Amino acid sequence: MEITRVIIENFRSIKQADIVLGHTTVFIGPNNVGKTAILDAVRIALSRRWGRSGTGFLETDIYLPGGITDPKQADPITIHIEFQERTLNEWTADLQNALDDVIQIEPVSGRSFIILKVTCGFNDTGTLEPRWEFLNMDRQALTGKGARSTNLQEFFQYLPVFYLKPSRDADEEFSARSQFWGRLLKAMNVPEALQATLRTSLDNLNKQLLTADPRLDTVATDLKNIAKVAPAETPGDLTLRAVALQPWDMLQKTEVIYKSHQDQPWLPLTSHGHGVQSLAVIFLFNAYVKLLLAEAYRPDSTAILELEEPETHLHPQATRSLCSTILNISGQKLLTTHSPYFVQRVPFRDLRLLRMTKTGTTISWLPPNYSTTIPASPALSQLLQQHADLLTHDASTSTLTTKGVIPEDLYRRLLTAYANHAEVKKIVANLKALKEQAEHHIADDELAQLETWARRIRGEIFFARKWLIVEGQSDYLIMHTIGALMGYPLDEHGISVIDAQNNGNPGTFAALARALAIPWIAMFDGDSAGQSYVAQIKKRNFEAKVIAEQCIVIPATDLEELLVTNGLEQELRTILKRLGVQNPQTIPTPDVISELRANKIEYATELATDLQADPTLFAKTPAILKETITRLQAVQA
Amino acid sequence: MTTHYEQAIQELTVNQRQAVYWQDGAALVLAGPGSGKTRVLTTRIARIIQESPKQTFRILALTFTNKAADEMNNRVATLCPDCEDRLSIGTFHAFCTNLLRQHGSHIGVQTTFTIYSLEDDRRQVLRDVLKHDPDNKPVGHDENQILKIIDGLMSRFATPNSTPTLFRDQAQGARYAKLYEQYNKELRRLNALDFNSLLYQTHQLVTTYPAVAARYRRTYRYWLIDEFQDTNTAQYRIIRELAGNDFNNVFVVADDDQIIYEWNGASYQQLLRFREEFNPTFIQLPTNYRCPPSIVNAANNLVSHNSTRTPQKAPLLAGRTTTQLPESQHIRVLTYDTDNDEAVGIATTIHQAGRETWGSTIVMARTRALLENLLQQLKERDVPALIAQRRDHFLTPHFQWLQAVLHQFTRPLDKRNFRVVVDAYNQMNGAVYTTDDLIREAEQTSVDYLGVWATHLTESTEVVHRTTGEYITGLRRHPDNHSAFSDYFVQQFKKTTVEEGYDDLAEDCSAWTELKKNISHTIDPNAGLDQFLQQLDLRSKEPSPPKGSVRLMTIHAAKGTEAEYVYVIGMAEDNIPSFQSIKKGNESREMEEERRNCFVAITRTKEQLTLSTAKQYRGWQKKPSRFIKEMGLSIPA
Repeated sequence: MEITRVIIENFRSIKQADIVLGHTTVFIGPNNVGKTAILDAVRIALSRRWGRSGTGFLETDIYLPGGITDPKQADPITIHIEFQERTLNEWTADLQNALDDVIQIEPVSGRSFIILKVTCGFNDTGTLEPRWEFLNMDRQALTGKGARSTNLQEFFQYLPVFYLKPSRDADEEFSARSQFWGRLLKAMNVPEALQATLRTSLDNLNKQLLTADPRLDTVATDLKNIAKVAPAETPGDLTLRAVALQPWDMLQKTEVIYKSHQDQPWLPLTSHGHGVQSLAVIFLFNAYVKLLLAEAYRPDSTAILELEEPETHLHPQATRSLCSTILNISGQKLLTTHSPYFVQRVPFRDLRLLRMTKTGTTISWLPPNYSTTIPASPALSQLLQQHADLLTHDASTSTLTTKGVIPEDLYRRLLTAYANHAEVKKIVANLKALKEQAEHHIADDELAQLETWARRIRGEIFFARKWLIVEGQSDYLIMHTIGALMGYPLDEHGISVIDAQNNGNPGTFAALARALAIPWIAMFDGDSAGQSYVAQIKKRNFEAKVIAEQCIVIPATDLEELLVTNGLEQELRTILKRLGVQNPQTIPTPDVISELRANKIEYATELATDLQADPTLFAKTPAILKETITRLQAVQA
Repeated sequence: MTTHYEQAIQELTVNQRQAVYWQDGAALVLAGPGSGKTRVLTTRIARIIQESPKQTFRILALTFTNKAADEMNNRVATLCPDCEDRLSIGTFHAFCTNLLRQHGSHIGVQTTFTIYSLEDDRRQVLRDVLKHDPDNKPVGHDENQILKIIDGLMSRFATPNSTPTLFRDQAQGARYAKLYEQYNKELRRLNALDFNSLLYQTHQLVTTYPAVAARYRRTYRYWLIDEFQDTNTAQYRIIRELAGNDFNNVFVVADDDQIIYEWNGASYQQLLRFREEFNPTFIQLPTNYRCPPSIVNAANNLVSHNSTRTPQKAPLLAGRTTTQLPESQHIRVLTYDTDNDEAVGIATTIHQAGRETWGSTIVMARTRALLENLLQQLKERDVPALIAQRRDHFLTPHFQWLQAVLHQFTRPLDKRNFRVVVDAYNQMNGAVYTTDDLIREAEQTSVDYLGVWATHLTESTEVVHRTTGEYITGLRRHPDNHSAFSDYFVQQFKKTTVEEGYDDLAEDCSAWTELKKNISHTIDPNAGLDQFLQQLDLRSKEPSPPKGSVRLMTIHAAKGTEAEYVYVIGMAEDNIPSFQSIKKGNESREMEEERRNCFVAITRTKEQLTLSTAKQYRGWQKKPSRFIKEMGLSIPA
C-alpha cells in the first residue's frame, strides 16, 4: 500500500498543495520553499503517538495568510493522505481484510482506496487539537465502525514512516539505542548450544589476557580487600574481566569497521569521513527494511522512507551512483535533494519542483495524464471507443482521463456530445480546463529522447530559476558575457542557458518549461534552421503573444553574421588573427564569417574576454542580444 | 488449566462437534429447541478464529434480535478474548447499517444517516409527504395501513415503475407508486432510513455495484445465520446477492418447526430456496437437552401433524436424563369452566407453588388479552409479575429528554427532535422554554439550536438550568465525553427517584443502566456518540424483570427463552389455533403456523409444563384446543 496523493492545506508555507506521489518522489527547489514541510506533514499525519503529550503539530505550523498574525484567527491545517490501488488487488487480501473498516471501494473497478484526513486547529478552549478521520469518496467522514479510534493503530502498522535527516551521523545511528542498528542487533538469534561454547571460549580468552602480565593479579588481590572493609553475611569474591561475560553482550556492542582501500587500515565508521557515514546509514536502513520490517510491523507493511538530501557530503560520482541504489530500496520513498548529480538519474515524472509565490509554495511536475469530472453518456462511450488509446472514463467516479493532448476536433466532438446535457455549463468548463491542462502534456517518448540527448544538462536545469534557450555553444558563451556586462550575470541569477541544438528539440524545452512553470526566453538564428526551431515551439500550442515575446530571432543568418555585420567586424578580424587564421585583416567579409563559424568556441571565448576588458566594445554589440537579456530579466512564468 | 475454549470443545456432543468442525461449503443445521444451537454457533466461531491466529479474514454472524446478538457476542468473547476485530456479530439491520455507512455513498446514502425505528417518525414522514400532495392519498387506507403497504413494497424491492403492477386497482397502484417514491425521497432529504429501506438500499447497493459484494465475500470468509427460518424474502435476497454464484461458506441454523413469523415474511420457502440454491449438507441436532422426555414426546407428536417441513428432519430425541420432578408431574392439563376461573385457578396454582418458583416461571398465551387478567389475579395475591413486552420509548420525560438531547448533538439541525428536547425538559423541570422562539433566535444568529438554548440555560437564575446549560456546553466541546454527560444526569434522576418514589423513573433508570452496559459490550467503548445512539434507538427500553417475578408473555415474545415452570393458558379452539386459521382449514399454512406456535411454547419447559383451557371465553363456548390431543394428551373433564 503506497500513498498516491497528498493534499496539504494551511501548513507552514503551504497554503494549498495537491501532490501526486509515486513509488519514488523527489522534491527539489530552493531552500525554505517547503520541501521539508511536505515530508513533515506526511510523517505527522501517519505517526500519531498514542498517550504521548504533544500532537506533532505546533502553533507555528499554521499557515498565516497576509494580514493575519494570530494563528487562532487562521484556518486549521488539513492534510489528506490518499492510498489507492493502482490495479485491482494490488493490496494483499490480508491487508484488505485487516483494514476493511476504513477501506473504500471504487465501485466499478473494485479497486480499494483509503483517505485519511488530519485536521489541526484551535478548539474552543484555545488549545491546538488534532483530529484524525477516514473519509469516503465524497470526502465525508466515515461513521460507525469506520470512525473507531482503534482503526488508526492498525492502519499505522501497515505504514511505518522512517525519517533520515540530512546530517546522518554514524555515531548516533550505529549506537545500541538507534532506530535501526539497535533493533537489528536485538533481533539476532544466537543458538543456545553455540552460546554455551562461546561462553567457554570467552572465559579462556579472558584468562589468557589477564595472565599475560602478572601485575594484574596483584591488582585483583588488592581489590579483594573490599570484602574485608564492607563484609557481607556470606563471603563474596572478586575477579577481573577483560571480555564480555555473555556472547549476547558482545553482539550488542558490535560495531562496523571499514577500510576504503585494501592498503588502508581497518577503522570504525566514526573515524571515516561524513560521506561514508551518511552512506552507511542509508544502507543500514535498507538492511533493516529487508530483515526486520515484516517482523516489527505486518508482513504486508510498506516502509515509507523520508530521506533528506541523500547527497550530503558525497562526491558527485558517488551521488550519481547512490541514486540508483536508493531507487532500489524497497518501500515508498520521499526524497529531497539539492544535487543536480542526483537528479540526473531520477526519472522525469518522479520530480516535483517547488517554488515560492505570493500565495505560498506551489508545485509543478510532469503528470502522465490529466482528469476531470464528466458524467457518462452514450455519445461519450462512442468517442471513448474511437480514442481508446487516449481517453478513459470511470463511470462510478465520473472521471474522464486523457493520456495526452486532446486534438481540437476531438475536443469539439466532446463538447457536442454534451450540448443538450442538463449540466452543460459545468461540463464545458471542465472539458475546457482539461484540454488546457493536457496541452502541457509531455509524452513518454519525448521524455525518453530527452533522457538520451540532454543527460548532461538534465540535472542542473531543474534547479534553474529561468531558462534561456539558444542554439549552440557560441551563443552560450556570448550571452553569459553580455548578461554579466548588463549587470545581470546569468549564473548568479539562476539562469540555465540551454543549447538546444546539442540537447534535442527546442520545442521540447519550451514545453518542459511551461509544464514546470519555469520562465523562459529563446533566441535563434535568422536562418531556416532557426525559423524551424520557432516553428517547433509554435507547434506546442503556445499563444501567439508568448511566441512573439519569448522567441527572439536574430536579424541575420547566424550569430557570426550578426556580430560581423552589426559593428564588431574589426574586433573579430583581430580575434581571428590571434587564433592564427591566415590574412584575417584582408580576407573579404563573407570569409571572416566562415572563419568564425569554423572556430565558434575559440572566437566566442576570445570575444568574451575582450568584451569584459573593453567597455567601448560592449556599446558596439548588436542591440538584439541586449534586448534578449532585458526580456530574460522581465519574463515571468 | 483448560481454557474456556478447550472446555467448550470437550463438552460438545458428536453432532454438535460435526457442526462446529464443519469446514467449507454450505451447511444447514436442523436444530430443534434446546439442542444447544447457540453453543454450536459460538463454539464454531471460536474454533475458526482459534485455528487461524495469523490470518485477518473475518466472520459474519447474523441474528434476528439484539438480545441474541448480545448473547452471542458475550459468549464468543469468553471463548476467544481479543478477537472482536475479526467478528461482525449483529442483527440483519445492524449489518445493513454498517454496510451502508461504509459504502452507501455510491448510491447517495450519506455516512451520517439516522435510523427511524419508531412508527411516530415514519408517520410524520408520511404526513409531510401527503401534505404536499393531498390528492395522492390512497383511497380507503389509514396511515398505518399505508405504511404497511409501503413496507410491503420496500421488502419486495419494488421500484416506482413496478409498483402499479402489484395492485389490482390501477388508480390505487398509481397513487402508491407516486407515494412510495415520495416517501423514499423524503427519507433521503431527511438523511434517514427506516428498517425496510435499510434492506432495500443494501440490496440496491450490492446489485448495482457487485464489487461491494465481492469485497464482503473476501473479507468475511465464513457466514453464520441464526434462526434462518425467520428470514424474510428481502433478507434472503440480500444474502443471495452478497454470496454471488461461487461463495457458499454459508452456515445456517434453522428449525422449520419454529417458523412463527410468517406474518413478517418468514417462510418455509426461504429454507427451500436455500436448499436449492446453496445445496447445503444437512447436519441434524435433534437431541433436546432442555425438556423432560415426556414433553419432547408431546412436541414430536404435535409437529408430526404438519406437512411443510424438511423431509430429512429427524424427530426430537430426549437428551435430558435427570429431572427434579417425577415423570408423572412433567405435564399437567387443567380445565376450567370460564376464562375468569382459569385466571383465578392458574394464579392460585402459581401462588401456592411458592415464592422460590416464581422467578423461574413463565406464563404464555397466544395473545396479550388473556395475560392481562392473569396479571391482575397474580397481583391480588401479591405475586410479583409483569408482562414482558418490547418498549420503544422510555416512560418518563427525563429519559426521553436525555435520549433526544444526545441526538441533538449528532443532528444539530433537526427541529423536530429539538422540540422533543425542549418539551421534555419543560415537563420534567417545570420550565417554560419555547421551542419556536429558540429556533427563530438560532436562525437569526446562525448558532445551532442547542447552542442558543444552552446560552439561555446558563444565564438562568435557577441552579438546575445553569448546570444543565453547562453540561450541554461541555459536551458541545468534547462530544466524545457523552458517557460522562449521561452518567451525570442518570445520577440526578436516581436521586429524584429516591426522593419522590417515582416508579416509572426507577424503571427507566434501570433500563438505561442495562442498555448502556449491553451496548458497551457490543460496540467499541471508544465508539462515537452516533454509534451509541444507533444502538440505543434500536433496543427495547424495558428493564429486565426484577428477580423473583413471574414473567407473562405472548408466545412470539417467548422465543429464545426457557424456564423451569411453563404455563400455556387459553389452550382452546379459536384461540390457539386462532379463529382465522380454523377458517382456512386444517391443512392450511395458517394452521401449521399455529401448530408451530404451540410447539415453540411447550418446548420452553425445563421441568413442568402446565396447559390450561376453559370451556367458555368471554361468554362463548369453546372446545379445548385440538393441539392437546395432537400432543397425545388427555383432557380431564
